[in-house]
Amino acid sequence: MGWQSPFSFFTDSILRAPTIGSMLMCLAAGLVGTLIFLRKESLIGEALSHAAYPGVMLGVFFSGVLLINQYEGMTFSLLILGGAFFSSILGLWIIHLMKTKLKVKSDTALCFVLSAFFGIGLTIASQLQFSYTSLYKQAQVYLYGQAATMTDIHIAIYGLLSLVILGVLTLLYKELQVLIFDREYAEVIGIQRNWIESILFILIVLAVIIGIRSVGVVLMSAMLIAPPVAARQFTNRLPVLFFLSALFGVTSGFFGNYLSVELTRLLTWHYPSVRLALPTGPMIVVVASTICLVSLLFAPERGLLLRLYRIVVFRYRCVCENILKGIWRIDPKAPVLFQQIAKYQDVSPLYLKAVLWHLRYQGWIEDVEGGKYQLTHEGELHAANVVRLHRLWEVYLVDYVGIGPEKVHRNAEEMEHIITPALERELTLLLKNPKKDPHQQPIPSKESL
Amino acid sequence: MLAFLNPYHDLSFGAFIIQFFIRFWMLITGQLRLDQLVSDEIQIAVLICVAASSALVGTFLVLRKMTMLANSLSHTILIGIVLAYLFTSHSDATGSHDEFVPLTAMLIASLAMGFVTTFLTEFLTKTGGLQEDASTGLVFTSLFALGVILVTLLTRNAHIGLEAVMGNADALHIDDLQMIFWILIANSTIFVLFFKEFKMTTFDPGLSLALGFSTVFFNYLLMAQVSATVIGSFRAVGVLLVLSFITGPVLTARLLTDSLKVMLIYAVGIGTFVSLVGVALTRHLLTVYGMTLSTSGVVVCVIVALYTSLLVVQWLGHRYNNKREWGKTSRDASL
Repeated sequence: MGWQSPFSFFTDSILRAPTIGSMLMCLAAGLVGTLIFLRKESLIGEALSHAAYPGVMLGVFFSGVLLINQYEGMTFSLLILGGAFFSSILGLWIIHLMKTKLKVKSDTALCFVLSAFFGIGLTIASQLQFSYTSLYKQAQVYLYGQAATMTDIHIAIYGLLSLVILGVLTLLYKELQVLIFDREYAEVIGIQRNWIESILFILIVLAVIIGIRSVGVVLMSAMLIAPPVAARQFTNRLPVLFFLSALFGVTSGFFGNYLSVELTRLLTWHYPSVRLALPTGPMIVVVASTICLVSLLFAPERGLLLRLYRIVVFRYRCVCENILKGIWRIDPKAPVLFQQIAKYQDVSPLYLKAVLWHLRYQGWIEDVEGGKYQLTHEGELHAANVVRLHRLWEVYLVDYVGIGPEKVHRNAEEMEHIITPALERELTLLLKNPKKDPHQQPIPSKESL
Repeated sequence: MLAFLNPYHDLSFGAFIIQFFIRFWMLITGQLRLDQLVSDEIQIAVLICVAASSALVGTFLVLRKMTMLANSLSHTILIGIVLAYLFTSHSDATGSHDEFVPLTAMLIASLAMGFVTTFLTEFLTKTGGLQEDASTGLVFTSLFALGVILVTLLTRNAHIGLEAVMGNADALHIDDLQMIFWILIANSTIFVLFFKEFKMTTFDPGLSLALGFSTVFFNYLLMAQVSATVIGSFRAVGVLLVLSFITGPVLTARLLTDSLKVMLIYAVGIGTFVSLVGVALTRHLLTVYGMTLSTSGVVVCVIVALYTSLLVVQWLGHRYNNKREWGKTSRDASL
């Protein structure tokens, strides 16, 4: 009982349809999600997917009335898709009306529409449960999504709809780009804002109704949010954003489906008595969230952990430089007692010991007998440089910014760690290589360093 | 057999209401004991408590534009329920799911999840630099997906997951009433005690900060109240429909008044009204048309219908007034 290779999911005649179906759905969601993410309307997907639920149930109802056999997959799916489309559009329209005509705040309108539609859907569902039991059971997968029962017919429908989304996005790329980033400019150059926005909303609804089959109405919004958020961590450019978001979407679609099938198999293996199908939707969402989490933490430049790492490194450098400076100010040439150093540093003695040990290891200071520390030649130069930057900046603040000499010390304490050699040269030129700082302390000259 | 013990069996809408008030009178005068209540009455009582509690927290959520927080909480609470289930139920190999999860454990777990959700969302927004709607959506969907998977794996059935989302008003027990009742009492007490503070932090955060009231504290307090309300109502109406109870009556009340106090009272009143009408309507539909509808769903439909009809009435009134006004001004102009 091993794991199947991921590639067999593309070739196996039963697994092929769910796999490709989930991937198509996630492709559409990733693309459309990028648009609504940039418009800062990410939560609209949440409302629309729930608003699709009564439509799904109406679709089931009509299938039942028209006496459609549950094996006629095509008509059944189309009726459900159609119902979902119309109720989703209706939900969107009501949200719009509530926001514009009734002056209801956006979040309340979304929340009300999503729960009200869901409630109406549930009411219809509770009736269908008894009148069209087998169809109802089939439609129940729309709640949490189940890719496993997809067939080639679904692939055809979803493939077509995804292509429509892709095509419209490509055609309207310029207009959408202008509209997202500069509404006023869009109006100036004569882009029909209302038209484009209606098309955009139809695209969102399309992506949602494709998605609810494999992810389910409850979790659909995740697929509109997670991929673009992950993609945003890596790029500032719109085309790359679209591409990465689609890529992350497709990846999570595949692995979500893969894991759900494999885990279900494992579970059935271990507990043969329980018949259990792990829903696809949550698995896809968990994979997408994991991708998103990893991107949020580790992305170069924007990743939280890397930012944290840079902050820690910088803080540590500040502490080191402050200690060197402290020793230098007590005595650049002679050994200094630990207590003397600790007096001027506001870090705990234990931490100070550790940093001193590291400074010695790096060759900035050396141990002298009797628990004393002395700057090495490099250490002395480095400390003098820090002091020089500090005092240069004080001169600059007093002479050019016009701040009183008694107020400049605190700011210079920070700037001494930040000023680069290039900036230092500019400052030296600007201030005409001063010899004294505002407090009449000598500034170590560049030549002596 | 059981059906004939239920005094509401085979009643239509009007008769149901009359019967309900007769039995209510009997309860007050002591001719009826609490344990003699039938399922319809427990439903009405629970739904009224849910509606009143939701209306109270809902008013402040709507005014603070924080209803999407309620949406997040209602989703993430599923994990809380699973954890409560995990820690309290003795796992047995058959995986039977009828074990009773202690209500206090669920309450604690849900409060904890409420804090986690709020904290994570704020963390992503402030430290992660993500826009607020995206971080909200990201946190609750991820946690909810985890919750569904945990439910499926641990209990080896998706039943809890479905029930948490859909609610099941027909399976209510008198203990559920007790819990939501205490939650309602707690919520009302908090709002009565801190009414001024809540009002101020809602309408003028700057002033309250200047006067030394922490907006953060009251945000978290409100969040805790929302968590409690959601957990108290999830068995009756499910975690999604409770959002209708939170927003619907408040929106309706908002149409009728501008005053905060009056709005709170109206919202609670509307919530009570729709609960009673909803249950009666469900019974009516069963009696007359033989339709077995989900009670919570019907109540939500009643909320929507009430809101819509009030809108239509206002719109008609508005049109009528406008016509008169227009007539007046045109006459003025002609003069």
